[in-house]
Formats: sequence, C-alpha cells, structure tokens
Amino acid sequence: MASASSPAAVAASRRPGTRLAPPLALVAGLTVVAIGEAVLLDGAEDQPSEIGIEFHTFQDSRGVTVQSPAVDLTRDFTDRTALRAKFGVDAISAASDSCVRCHSQGVSNRRVTLGASLVRKLTDAKLSLGAEFSQENFYRATTILTSGSRNFNKANTTVAGGFSVSRNQPTLHPRRVSRSQTTENAFVSLTQTLTRSTVAQVGYEFGHIGGYQNDPFLRAFVNGELLLGNNPDRRTRHTFTLRLRQALPAQTYLEADYRHYFDDWSIHSNSVSVGLSHQFTPEFLLHFGYRRYDQTGAFFYAPEYFGFPEFFTSDFRLEPFTSNLYTGRGVFTPRHGLWFLPPGAGITAQYDRYSSDTDFLAGIFTVRLKIPLGNRAGSP
Amino acid sequence: MKTLTGLVALSLGLAGCTTVQPWQRGRLAHECMTFDADASRAAYEAHWQESREGAAGGFGVQSGGCGCK
Repeated sequence: MASASSPAAVAASRRPGTRLAPPLALVAGLTVVAIGEAVLLDGAEDQPSEIGIEFHTFQDSRGVTVQSPAVDLTRDFTDRTALRAKFGVDAISAASDSCVRCHSQGVSNRRVTLGASLVRKLTDAKLSLGAEFSQENFYRATTILTSGSRNFNKANTTVAGGFSVSRNQPTLHPRRVSRSQTTENAFVSLTQTLTRSTVAQVGYEFGHIGGYQNDPFLRAFVNGELLLGNNPDRRTRHTFTLRLRQALPAQTYLEADYRHYFDDWSIHSNSVSVGLSHQFTPEFLLHFGYRRYDQTGAFFYAPEYFGFPEFFTSDFRLEPFTSNLYTGRGVFTPRHGLWFLPPGAGITAQYDRYSSDTDFLAGIFTVRLKIPLGNRAGSP
Repeated sequence: MKTLTGLVALSLGLAGCTTVQPWQRGRLAHECMTFDADASRAAYEAHWQESREGAAGGFGVQSGGCGCK
C-alpha cells in the first residue's frame, strides 16, 4: 500500500490484471486452503489458532488505486509455541506525475510480502523471533525482528520490548543501479491495568536509518529545473506514545491514543486518535474513530529551491501538513458460525476516509474474514 | 511535550496503586480493551499511514517497509 503513494511504483495502467495474476492466484489458493483447513479441523483440538483473510481497497484523489489481498495464519503447535505467517500483495494501478513522464500509457506495480514469526510462551513471558521479506518492482526489503514481554504483579503490569533491523534496496530506475539502506528500530513499552475497567500503556521507540534515502522518482524544482532530490543519508527518529482503554457502562469502550514524534530532520508531529466501540449484541460490534495528525516540515523542505542547496526534495511526506482520518467499522460474529464456518468465525467491514490540507483525499475499504482453527462447537 | 511528560508521570504514578485480581478482569477481557488486538489491522493501518506521513512507529517494531518510505 505504501507503494501506492510512491511514484516509484505507480503510473496509469488500464490493464494490470495480466501481470498481477500469479500473486492474486496464490492468495486465492491460500484462501481456499485456509477455509478448507478451518472446516476440516473443526473439532480436532482446542488450540486457539486462526486464519485471517482480508482484502483492502485504497483509492485516492490522485487516481491511485491499490488492491491488497492478504492471508495470515496463527497456529499454536503446543501450549507454548505458536507460528504466525502472513502473505500479502499490494496490486497498484495509478497515474503518477513522475511515472507518466516516461510511461504515457502507464505501468502497474505490485508488492509481495511474506513474513513469519515463532512465538514462545513462558510462564509469565513471551518471546518472538521473525522475519519479513517484501519485493516490488524497484524495491526490496528484508527484515529480522525480535520482541519479548513479561508480566508482573498478577499480570497487571506488562513490560515489553523489541528490536528490528531491515536492509532495504531501492533500484534507481530507469538505471539498473541499486542502493542500500539500513533501518534499525527498538521499542520499549509499559502496560498497566489501572482499575477493573482501565488499561494504560506508555511506549518509546527509537529508530535510525542509514544509507540512501532519496526517492529516485520524485523531482524537485531547483533553479527552475526538475532534479532528483537529495536527502541526508542519516536519520534518527524518536517516538513517544500514550494509550488508554476505558470500559464504559453499557458494553461501550473508549480507545484513545496519543503519539509524539520528532527526528533530526526537524520533523515534529502529534497524532491523537479517539475511538468508541459499542457491543450491541454478543454478535455485533460497531466502532467509530477519529484521528488528527499534524507535522512540521523537514529542515530542508521547500516548494522550490534557488542557488546551490545541499539538500532538496519534493517529497510530500517532508512538507508541513495536517490530516484527519475518520473510521467506521462493524464486526459480525454469529453465535453458531458464519455460513459453513465453525463458531467463532466472523467478518469485519471497515471504511476509512483520510484527508489532508494539501488537498489529498483517500478512501480505504477493508473486509476481513476471521476463521478459528480447531475450536469445538460452542467454544469461543 | 510537557503535557505528554505529565501524562506519562501520572500513568507511572498510578501503576501499582491497584491490583486487579484475575476474577475481576471480566471487562478487561474484551477485545476492545487489548492494545492492537488485531495485529493485522494495526499493521495495515501503520503501513498506509506511513506512506503518507513523515512520522512513523511508536506502536511496536516496524518492518522493512517498501519503496515509498
């Protein structure tokens, strides 16, 4: 999806289907296997494993369309060991200012993601180790990540932490030259049960990006000429979060998140989101959410450059702006199972509307099917 | 930033004030009371938001991303 906004990836395409057939067929195949396994394993065991099948459609005011089918599997092999695996595709077709200069008929892009992690549960702790690989036309990312958490105080306090390292390799299309970028992230969080109906979490994340960080497809105006941007090759990021979950009367739940971010490119941002969920019946839950985001611009961002600037960019992510996001979501989990699927199977439909003061508007529609594996009839 | 610091201090100060017993956790067991109960949804939302915004992270270890980042 992120590729959706990447002019690297997108250009107008009216016939993306032929190139996208193999991964879409693979997702469809996995879906059939997943449903088959869910039906066959119904009643086989009591492990809380599940399969999620989801489909996202993203469309924005620039004409970018991204369709993202994905399948994820959580499978508990023993009481203490679980495997999580995910396969997804971003199928992108769009018109992009940068791409249409060379591809008047447009091109399409796709991003394929494959990830897996192993989770080991101990008495009061949980450890996980995983890897993820993603490949698109002119970009490849390989990530190794690990995390752990430990409960204290009768599980009223949880301390968690994690680390990931990624090696990203953009190709400087139309040249066949690749560059390298390394990203390291580490986080720590403290989750505390405050009362019988209140949970809070504070967190901090540190990130460092080294290496090539230009967008090889975005051109900035420098002295009236369009030139590929030139960004610093190091970036250090800090993120603080504060989150709250409050159970209200009448099966209603309040969700509030705050995030403060800053980095050494002089971007400062605040994000506040508030959501309200109501369980109308045991089978149906409705959620509405709102998120407001603002950021300052990078120290070297300008709409146009003159003279001999060391750094210059036209990256829309580096300009100052404010955005609003509205979310509506319904979750339907029939007591006796959905269609021919076992009890516990449910379907989620979500719509997001995102707009910014830079005249950007996007709509995202998501459908997700959750299928428990191996639950006996009547079990949750 | 001062507000954030104050809220963090308040949260940490409240931590440990109350011990909720296992049999008192009925309302806390609801999915809405769990942070990122749907990890797949959280990952997707973070993915597309980070493709539009300069800020990133804060809700767990991030993956390698894609060409837009």
